[in-house]
This record gives sequence, structure tokens and C-alpha cells, in this order.
Amino acid sequence: MGKKRSAILITLLTLVIVALCFISTVSFSYGPNGMYQFNSLLRTTTKDADVGGAYGASGYKGGGYSVTYYPEGVITAKDYQDSLELKTGDARDEYADSYVPYLGGTLYLDKEDVCGGGDEPTEEFKQSFENTLKILEARYAHLRVDGTELSVTDDYTVRVFLPEMMDAKGVAFTVNAYTGEFHVRYGSSADSADEILPALRKKTINDYFDKAYTRTGADGTVYIALQFTAEGRDVLAEETQNANTMYFMVGDNQVIPLTISEAVDSKTLYISGSYTAETASIYANVINTVMKADDPADTLKLTVSDTLVYKALYGGNTLTALYIAFGVCFVAMMVFFFVRYRRLGFVHLYTYLIFTLIMIVCVYAIPFLYLSVETFIAFLFLSLLLSVCNAVTFEYARKEYALGKTMASSVKEGYKKCFWHIFDLHIVIAVLSFIMFGIGLTNLHMVAFILGLGTVFSGLACLGLNRLTWAAMMSFTTNKGGFCNFQREVVDDDD
Amino acid sequence: MMTKRPIKMLPIWIAISSVIILAGIILFALLGFNTSADRNDGKTFEVEYDVEVEIAENGIKMLQDACEAAFKTNGISYFTQQDAKTETVGGKLIYTFSANTSDTALGQAKAAVESFAKETFADKDATEENEDIPHVYVGYHVSYNKSFTESAWRGAVAVAVGAVVALVYVAIRFGIGSALTGLTLCVHDVLFALGILAITRIPVLGFVPVIVGAVAAFSSLLMWLIQCMKMRESFKNQPETVSAEEAIELSSKTAQKTIYFAAAGIAIALAIFTVALAIGSGSIGAILFPLVCIIPVGVSVYSSLLFGPALHVPVKTAFDKFKSKHKRRFGRAKAEKKQEEKA
Repeated sequence: MGKKRSAILITLLTLVIVALCFISTVSFSYGPNGMYQFNSLLRTTTKDADVGGAYGASGYKGGGYSVTYYPEGVITAKDYQDSLELKTGDARDEYADSYVPYLGGTLYLDKEDVCGGGDEPTEEFKQSFENTLKILEARYAHLRVDGTELSVTDDYTVRVFLPEMMDAKGVAFTVNAYTGEFHVRYGSSADSADEILPALRKKTINDYFDKAYTRTGADGTVYIALQFTAEGRDVLAEETQNANTMYFMVGDNQVIPLTISEAVDSKTLYISGSYTAETASIYANVINTVMKADDPADTLKLTVSDTLVYKALYGGNTLTALYIAFGVCFVAMMVFFFVRYRRLGFVHLYTYLIFTLIMIVCVYAIPFLYLSVETFIAFLFLSLLLSVCNAVTFEYARKEYALGKTMASSVKEGYKKCFWHIFDLHIVIAVLSFIMFGIGLTNLHMVAFILGLGTVFSGLACLGLNRLTWAAMMSFTTNKGGFCNFQREVVDDDD
Repeated sequence: MMTKRPIKMLPIWIAISSVIILAGIILFALLGFNTSADRNDGKTFEVEYDVEVEIAENGIKMLQDACEAAFKTNGISYFTQQDAKTETVGGKLIYTFSANTSDTALGQAKAAVESFAKETFADKDATEENEDIPHVYVGYHVSYNKSFTESAWRGAVAVAVGAVVALVYVAIRFGIGSALTGLTLCVHDVLFALGILAITRIPVLGFVPVIVGAVAAFSSLLMWLIQCMKMRESFKNQPETVSAEEAIELSSKTAQKTIYFAAAGIAIALAIFTVALAIGSGSIGAILFPLVCIIPVGVSVYSSLLFGPALHVPVKTAFDKFKSKHKRRFGRAKAEKKQEEKA
């Protein structure tokens, strides 16, 4: 490569690195009194529930939200105390008598509804709670969001946690609390409308309704599709003759309203509204979970507590600690390269920085990727892969140079000899990663994609960019062996 | 002194692996993994405070200090601490303890914090008729996480399918024998690493076992791939008279350096991350996550340098025999074989 071309290439690469470094890592305030804030890509990248950090004036990425579901007849000690404080005289005694303390007063249970007049919850209540819990579990498992947690607290309340990175948290908390049977009403208001499905007492909703699912149109509109059986379609066609509203209900809760102007005579109804893919999936799943439940009628009505906002589980300094750890590993890696290969270390530095910055941009720009400890570990693994492969190419070239070949020939021969090693290594990791990405869920799905993508970039960086930068940088020196810290093999002269 | 060569110690490696894997399976079946580092698994000590505490100078900090002091006095220590806010005013300090923390100790801590809060955040204008409203509610709860099994089984299927497809590639490039040994090692490494996790009862987050399994599969495949590459290079230069055992032993020695180098690189980097998280986070789940990832890396070093080569000897011998039996011979070699068969 000529000196001119090399200079242009190195300058361009340096500019790209500096620009990407700047937008990826530097955040600052500007404008009068620092009114505006420029946030780096790393700051604005989505973070999982375990790591988090502030961005902008009052924004926070990471952490999450939690609510507790209280079944009917179950209240907290605080609610019990607060209600008791407000009552006086007989009303106070009556109120105190109507509740039974549970687990040493952690919860208070309604004496009649929950305990059947005794001091312990009845078997019926326990069964209903189990049924309700199964439905909640199915609903939150279906979200398939990394960091989602569901725990049973004090035997009869359910606490759920959703990460901040999920957009439809509020909808999920509210709609997932709907319990009861699925049915369809038809009329002018949800309360006064007549139930049209299930139509006959002897039959269940399963005879009329098949399932709910979501579809996204070519224009980006998200639909909830409700699929009926042939029998369901006939009933709907008969019952919906006038312009009115259909209410798709779960228990007493209206899940989807649909205003119609003519009879519904279709097996599948596609309903659009202000749904996003996430919210539509939640609504569809609420219907499906009660359809699949063994006994949806035997469930408990749930009250949703106030939402609690959590910051990152691992604490506010975790990200800084991870960046420092990454920095230490980076310095150690560069020390090794500069000590062993002298100025050839710059070639690895350029390749590695471009690889790292492209990965940062990808994690920022690809919607389902986010920062977490797993992301860092995956990146660590990729860094090692790239470093080992670069070191392998340098070593193969070193061996060729030692035999007395020119530097250009050594590099060419070195790359030729190690090509299949590097190719095999990358192809195996990429195959494993992309298959895991296709099958795995939540954080495994995300980490596998990062590994797959990073492996492709690492292969390209090692076999393409590294060689190009090497050629460009070496064109400025006459002592090519000294540049790379390569030496010729010493041959004893017998003469 | 005679030292036994690792390549000849297959029964010992099988015994070690069997013990660890079986013990791990039994402990997993009885107790599962120790997921007590999860947010809501175990017992939680919750201190709910209102706006009065929030606006008081260092109100929340004082409450935190009172909790710490109460825990210390009662000899209990927590895994995680969170300050959760409501969307309006007030919030909750939530401390997570292990499930076997004594209720008596928690009760005493509760009484101590309540008494502190009553003294510190008392309403000065309260009268006997207009009793002071408590600004702090303290309670402790028993929670157990319901794990979403779909993520775990799909993770296991993903690792298994990915590993099999990757090993099909290994079979194409390095032969079926290498792929079979690789498959055995991959399964072994995943079970071995999870076995160690189950035996050591290291407190981890619920998703960590799946990640450990995936790291074990990755690491195992990589290390075995290095062995395969070295074996191919090394076998080319060896005469046909060299036995499978000697050939594998020689190539394994050349692969040692690369495997140690790669494993040490990963282990050192993970150790640096562990130290950084110990300083920056303090959360047991965070600190132990990179640390437990060292387990599968260590396991894959053991399997690729000790167990793998020893296991590959009978596999290679069998495949070599098969190959020589079905080898196509021409000219003199063909005639010699016919004579052998006649004899």
C-alpha cells in the first residue's frame, strides 16, 4: 500500500474512532446554566433491572417497577390499622372483629369471606388462590421479559416485578389482574349489555371461542385477532344484527370494546386500537390464560397495590465498576500487545477500538439489546476471541518472517496458514450463538445475539480490518521487522 | 518416581466426574440451586415511610442506619437492600434475608426500628385527641419466587441444539470421532459445572444456572476445537506406526499452552470484574455472577486437557481400526490385503 493511501486510511480510521469514542462515552451539559444535556450512547442505552444509571435531567435507565396483588378479603397490616384509626366505638369493634391477623399480623384476613368464620383460611379460599396464582404465573411468564419476577408473599399475596425497559408495565400490572371467566356482551354499555357468549347454559365459552392472538399490518398497525369456532361465528352473526358495541370481558373487567355497524359474520375478528405489539400481546394473553385455565370461575378478584419504583438491584455504582473493570482488562491486553509486538500493537488497538465502538452502537441501536452484567461478560468473551485471533495471525507471520521471508510475504503466508483456524473458531461460535438466539428466551436470547453478532464482527475485524491496518501502518517504516518486533532466525555460519 | 500419565487415567477421570455430577443431580433434586440472591426470595424486612421522613433532614439515611443497627444487634445480615419509591411520595426500604432467618430476630429488629421511628419522626403538634399518625410502618414477610420454567427449558434446548449443530461442523472438519468426543465433553462440562453450582450452594440469581450451562457449552466447544486443530496439525506430521494414545498425548501437549492461555485470559478478566463489582456494587448476586462463570471455564480446561484426551484414545482407536478395515487399497496394498484375508 502506498504512503499516500496509507496516510488517508489511517487518518480516516482515526477520525472514525475519535468521533465514535466521543458520542459513545462523553456526556456533558451545555447552553445557559447547563440547561441542556448531551447524553452519550452508553448513557442512553437501555439497561436491565440489575444495572442502571441516570441520564438527562431526571431520567433513569434500569431498575424497574413492582406491585402487589391482594386477593379479595386480604389486606395489609397498614391498611387494617389505618381503617381502624378512622373508626370509633362499636364500628371500630365490629371492624376489628371482622378481620383475623395472619402470620403474626403481617396480613389481615376477612373472617367471613376468607376464613369462613374461623381463624384460618378455608380450603375453598386456598384452592381459589392457587387457581388465581396459576393464571398470574402464566400471564407473567408469557411476557418473556428479562428481569420479570413473580413471588408469593405471606402465602396469600402475589408480588410482581417488571423491568423499566418494558414499555407497557402499567398495562401489564392492571390487565393481568383481571380474573374470572371470558365472555362476550353486546349492548350500549358494558354493565347493561346482554351476554351473548357463551350462548347456552349447557355449553362453555370454549365451544364458541378458540383463541386470541396478535398481528401487525404492513402499515405497522397492531391488531388483536379473536378467533371463534364455527358455532361461535353463527351465534355472533345472529346476535349482532344492529349497530352497537361488543364487550369482550374477563370477569367483570372489560378487556376489549368493539363498536360495530353491521352483523359480525366472520370467524376471526381483527381489532385495532391504540395497541402496541406489547399491549396487544398482553390483552390477547389475558383472554388466552383464562380460556386455558382449569376453573377460571373459581378465582379471586385482585386489588393492585401502589406501584413501587426500584432502582438497579446491583446499586448505582455497578456500571462505573463494570467500566473500570473493562478499562483494566483493556490496559492489560494492550500492555501485552505493545510489549510483545511493539508498534504492531497499534494495529490491534485500531482493530479492537473499531470493533468495540461498533458493538456499542449496535447495543444502543438494536431495540432488543441492552446493557447488563451478562452483556459485559459476552463482550469480554468476544474481546478475548478477537485478541487471541489477532495474536495468532501475528505469531504465524512472525514464524514466516523468522525463516527469512519479506514482511509482505510473511503476512500473506501467515494469514494463509491460520485462516482456517480462525474461520473454524468463528463459525462454531457464531452457529452456537445464533441457534441459542433463535431458541432461547430473555437474557440468553439477548446474550446469544450479542455473541453471534460480535463473532461475525470479530471475524471481519481479524481477517479484514486487521490486515488492512497492518499494511497501512507498516508502509511508513523502513525497518519492518523492528516495527513488529519480529526477528530473523539466527543461522550458524559453518564457514 | 514414576508419575502416571493423565491419558491413561480415564477410569479416574470418569470416577471424579461421576461423583461430582451425581452429587450435583441429587442435591439439585433435593434442594435446587441456591437462588437466594433473587430480589424477593426468602424473607423481606420492609420499612415503609411517608413524606414526613422524606422531607426530614437525612430522614431516610437515619432510618437506614437504624435498620443496620437493629440487624447488627440481633445478629442478622441481609443479601440485598433496596430503596423503592412510590410514584407519588414516600417509599419503602426493603432488605432481603435468607429464608432461614429467625422470626424472633426479625421481630426484635422490627420493634427496635419502630421505636426509633416513633422517637425520631414524632409529630410535635400532636395532642391526646389528635394522636400522632405513625410515619413509618415496619413489617417482615416471607416470599418465595415462582420461577418461569419456560426460560430454563428453552435455554437448555437452545444450548443442546446449538452444541449439536456446532459439533456437526466439527464432524465435517475434523471427523466423526472428534465430534463424538466433543459431544460427550460438552454434555459432561454442562452437567459438571451445574453440579459444582448445586454442591457449593453459591447464592445466585434465578437465571444464572442457565447462563452457567451456556458458558460451559461454549467453553467446552472452544477448548475441544483448539485440541482438534492441534490434533490435525500434529497427526499430519506423525508416522502411521504411532499409536492413537501417543499421537493424542503429543498433540495434547502442544495444545496445552493455548488452552491455558485462553482459560487464564477469561478467568483473569472475570476475576477483575468480580473485584470491581465487589467494590462498586456490594450486591451478592452481582459479585458472584462473574465468579460462578469461572467454574465452567475451569471445568472445560479439566475436560479438554485431562478427561477429553483420555476419552478420545478409545474413540480414535476404534475409528482408526474402522478406517483401516474399510480403507480402499490399490495395487500392491490391495494384493497384500487379499493375501492377508486368505491366510
